[in-house]
Amino acid sequence: MLSSIKKYSFRKFRDSETKRHELNYLFWECTTRCTLTCLHCGSDCSKDSLHRDMPAEDFFRAIDTIENIPPNFTVVFTGGEPLLRKDLEFCGKELRRRGFKWSIVTNGYLYDKQRHISLLNAGIGALTISLDGLKESHNWLRNNEKSFDKVINAIELASSSNRINFDIVTCVNQKNINELEQIKELLISKNVRAWRLFTIIPIGRAVHNPDLSLTDNQFVQLMDFIVECRKSRVIDVKFSCEGYVGKYEPLVRDSYFFCRAGINIGSILIDGSISACPNIDRTFSQGNIYKDNFYAVWENKFKPFRNREWTKIGQCESCKEFKDCQGNGFHNWHGDKKNVLVCHNEKIEKQRNADIV
Amino acid sequence: MINMKRNVIRKIIRGLSLTSAMFVFQACYGTPQDFGFDLLIEGQVKSKNSGLPIKGIKVSVADNMQYEMTDEEGKFSFYTGIIEGLTLQFQDIDSIQNGLYIDKDTVLTDFDENNYLDIALEEK
Repeated sequence: MLSSIKKYSFRKFRDSETKRHELNYLFWECTTRCTLTCLHCGSDCSKDSLHRDMPAEDFFRAIDTIENIPPNFTVVFTGGEPLLRKDLEFCGKELRRRGFKWSIVTNGYLYDKQRHISLLNAGIGALTISLDGLKESHNWLRNNEKSFDKVINAIELASSSNRINFDIVTCVNQKNINELEQIKELLISKNVRAWRLFTIIPIGRAVHNPDLSLTDNQFVQLMDFIVECRKSRVIDVKFSCEGYVGKYEPLVRDSYFFCRAGINIGSILIDGSISACPNIDRTFSQGNIYKDNFYAVWENKFKPFRNREWTKIGQCESCKEFKDCQGNGFHNWHGDKKNVLVCHNEKIEKQRNADIV
Repeated sequence: MINMKRNVIRKIIRGLSLTSAMFVFQACYGTPQDFGFDLLIEGQVKSKNSGLPIKGIKVSVADNMQYEMTDEEGKFSFYTGIIEGLTLQFQDIDSIQNGLYIDKDTVLTDFDENNYLDIALEEK
């Protein structure tokens, strides 16, 4: 009974948030250059990108169109590897001057003591660092033998600062699924307080590597691991908001599944495209900062993001979970968009049926 | 008025679903939200004797690895977390280059949104 009330209230809340569509969270794909060539990269980033970095003034011209800036509005620098930009600190300070908070997503490779200090000086407030396993499995996925040592150094630096709210993200795959407990112990030993776990969806370079996807059994193993970790609360472990997980809602996160792409989350991509999370199919772009007023696009477009009825297609068409799932995470709609790329709940249900048999 | 009404409705729904996390979210591939508090500290370091700006003074936060060097105009500017008894240290670390000055510590007691410090260092 209580659970039904909670679910019902949450749906109402989600609907009201969608109607309100307050822009709280803006990704800036500030570069597609990267220090690494990871096996799972959804952006197909490389050391030499086809795109030049977006000039800072172009980005600021776009965000200066934002009216009614909500409290806690955050700009998240992403890439590629944002630390490759030499003007990152300048951009951060400019954002703070406008009253905005900012943060970065990094692979940690260039995150040394000097950069840590200069980022703090420029008013960084949050950080996400990728760690994808113990040494061997991390370096395998990151395709670089020095990456693990570098990222551990970055984690130690981030942990040393009370100012930065940071978390670690791990892409769970065939190589690291059985070392999650050891990774957790490693993170606790480094005073990490928050850990987010992802799976890898088959886009970008990940399409060509079957070792990256979890079996149904492994996916359920991951869910059970997170549930157990959340009981002890030694470290705040959660599943990312990548998809709806049926009976595990809301046991693996702080709240029920709600894909806020295009509802509270927007982005300015490397070519000026205006969209939501950067891993969303680029054909969903709603405009371009070089042609359109950014905030007018945010306010008046984004229809496919704010009404997900169009995702009632393929296997979602007759799914009884649709009212809670709404076609899963938006980034699961790629290519011809005739069916959802990954259904997390299907994996769970398939495994449950296999267990019964 | 409409916004106020919406906020009240939001809070009621939040209460019913027994979760406060709904307003605290992070995008899939994004960072956590920043709920910390910091302040911008700016200022200028000059020679007490000549009144001229001093370049190359290390301005650091005590018990913290953060620091910045003063520029050509003796100016510095950085953000740092708010802590009780926040102490800034001004050190001449470049030997005779730019002159020789006695180090100085300053404790910040009143925090405003913008903290501008005029620092005068005595020559050795």
